[in-house]
Amino acid sequence: MSLDELSKLVEDGETEDARELAGTLLKDGADPLEMIAEMTRTMARVGDLFSELEIFLPEIMLAGEALSGVVEVMTPYLDAVGGQAVKGKIVIGVVKGDLHEIGKNIAKLILETNGFEVKDLGYNVDPLTFIKEAEAMGADFIGASSLMTTTMPRQKEIIEILEAKGIRDKYKVVIGGAPTSQMWADKIGADLYCQEAKSAPELLMNLMAG
Amino acid sequence: MTTAYRHWEILERSQTGPFMDEDDFLPKHFTPTLKKLIKKYEIKYDPQNPCPTDDDMADRVWQAAWDLFREVGYYNTDSHRLIQVTDEEIREALYMAHDQYWVGEGKDAVLWKHRQVEDPAPPFCIMSPDITCDEKYHQSICMAYLKEPLLDGICGPILEETFGHLIESSGPTEISGCIQHIYNQKMAARLLGRPGTFMVAVGTAEHDSGQIAVSNDEWGVQKTDARLVGSLTEFKTADTLLNRSLHYAQYGCYTGNLTGAIYGGWCGGSEGTAVTTVAYSLIGLVIHGAIFNQHFPFHLNYGSNTTRELLWAIAMAGQALARNSKLLQTSNGFANAGPMTEMLFRETAVHAMVSTVNGWHLWEMASTRNKYKNRATPLEARIGMEVGHAVARQGLSRAAVNDIANRLLATYEDDAADAPIGSEYHECYDVAKAVPTQEHYDMFRRVKDEIAEMGIEFPF
Ligand code: B12
Repeated sequence: MSLDELSKLVEDGETEDARELAGTLLKDGADPLEMIAEMTRTMARVGDLFSELEIFLPEIMLAGEALSGVVEVMTPYLDAVGGQAVKGKIVIGVVKGDLHEIGKNIAKLILETNGFEVKDLGYNVDPLTFIKEAEAMGADFIGASSLMTTTMPRQKEIIEILEAKGIRDKYKVVIGGAPTSQMWADKIGADLYCQEAKSAPELLMNLMAG
Repeated sequence: MTTAYRHWEILERSQTGPFMDEDDFLPKHFTPTLKKLIKKYEIKYDPQNPCPTDDDMADRVWQAAWDLFREVGYYNTDSHRLIQVTDEEIREALYMAHDQYWVGEGKDAVLWKHRQVEDPAPPFCIMSPDITCDEKYHQSICMAYLKEPLLDGICGPILEETFGHLIESSGPTEISGCIQHIYNQKMAARLLGRPGTFMVAVGTAEHDSGQIAVSNDEWGVQKTDARLVGSLTEFKTADTLLNRSLHYAQYGCYTGNLTGAIYGGWCGGSEGTAVTTVAYSLIGLVIHGAIFNQHFPFHLNYGSNTTRELLWAIAMAGQALARNSKLLQTSNGFANAGPMTEMLFRETAVHAMVSTVNGWHLWEMASTRNKYKNRATPLEARIGMEVGHAVARQGLSRAAVNDIANRLLATYEDDAADAPIGSEYHECYDVAKAVPTQEHYDMFRRVKDEIAEMGIEFPF
């Protein structure tokens, strides 16, 4: 039994077996920091396979679930050594009037599989709901997707409401979706524009650091 | 006869059907059922043959699709319940569906008929840019499409602004934009002397209220026209969508069901994309009372359907539907490249030939991954329709098309990920006259000649 085996179980989306093995390894004295590093490498590999469509959405989703299972088992061990499992917290949704949810779902999966805690608000989400949910979660980020020029103004509204409530600085606002752009992000004062989901984890990490 | 008479029972089921959490619907219900059926019916993608000849597998795809719809149902995201149907209801709907409908009006009306695999009858040709455009080009683009000789129906470009105001979803600007859209389109048809041309309208309507606002036989979308109702990917609906199908039926126009099964998403690979596409036709018929289905399966990363994984899915789905039903379906091309590039002409030609020989009607062409304003023109649609007519009239076999498709794929497949985005409408069309520029036309002609040399006998 080894970390390699644990990697394989996570990659195959075998949540129950992965949890069990993680528990055994940790009890037997495995280093939780090494384990989380190995999990990060595994998910990067899974992410690469998905971005080439060598595996499909359902598979990466199962791998993500298995990872969450392992992280849950690891948390007390990580806490004990001062390690951190969650890279950041984000609420994510598609703005009001917009039913295009595929891109948001992919962004969610990629963030989850890269160690972010994600609260999915679904689609057709009122600007105020984004904010209320972010408050409830204690989120670091608000992620808003818009696929139509006709719903892009709702992204702007999220920022305006944050300002009106005097809590603009509490959250980093991240926007995405085909018609949006860096120019639009600059115009509305969003903190980050993501053209695609794959690079989002890294960009979000940079934003937290910086 | 459509199956709209079942609407009340269907709507009721979205209140009384079994409850399911939306988070569980795709990963725990849809995808596992689909995977099980692909295995059970031994459906297998063959990358060598983007246009396969396999009647037996086509029939198994049909069976799998039927089981998929019956076992999974259709999920209403508002009520969180499954709309389920029985085998008997599916059989009844298939029996009641006609295999032909008159669409459009007066001298411009066209009889739209079911096609078989390798059918010598040309496909019904709906031309559409499928994208948004600047307000100042809207009228011209409508005109340019309506100038296409092989056009049987038009779906015009989408407005982002109405009289200088940004259109906002479900607000008053949307209502106004929708009316402007249909006025422009109808006026273009009248000016061109084909006022009764069949229209699928209006794409500017994002909300049910926008669609309802343009139902008018005098100045709006007529009863001889059609409207679309979308499905949420995959197998999901919402009240705002069901509102549309009910309204279309009660108004009395034709309904089309708009779906794009996603390769790489919840359907998995080519096999799942083919089965899901066929199942969507049954959903369109039974749930929405659609007389036709408008399918645009696409690649999750590219947003196109002109590479072999998608062509195979389109081919198998077409064969399955053509052989086992009398339904009408349009195959909607999504290309990687943009206007006035040779790649776009080749992609459209391949999409059209594979679709036509497998029993589909044509809906061309969403260029430049359907993503960029003003980046689609009638000329790429023209090459698709001309290829479609040629393939049918010549009586080409699936094997012959497979061969030509493979040769054309070799010219562009490796460039799918970073295809050129080409030009915008006003850069390759004379906007005032609504005709292609000489340079653009010459490129069209060049690629057409190249395809003719591969064995396509163009009618003109
Ligand atoms: C699939 C699709 C549909 C499906 C949606 C199914 C679903 N449940 O999502 C259906 C058929 C239902 C549909 C309906 C409609 N559609 Co539509 N649709 C598309 C299409 C072809 C692809 C969208 C997609 O899923 N792409 C694949 C995903 C993976 O890409 P993505 O969304 O861009 O996401 C990636 C990145 O952008 C990023 N990302 C996205 N969001 C976020 C958020 C964060 C926080 C981060 C980090 C990253 C991120 O990550 C993703 C992965 O890399 C687009 C055209 C296009 N090429 O975008 C049109 C498009 C969006 N639709 C359009 C229209 C007009 C409509 C309809 C009005 C059609 C009609 N008349 O009925 C309706 C609108 C319904 C509504 N109110 O929302 C227009 C919008 C035009 C405009 N005004 O801007 C488009 C642009 C087509 C066009 N060119 O005209 N559609």
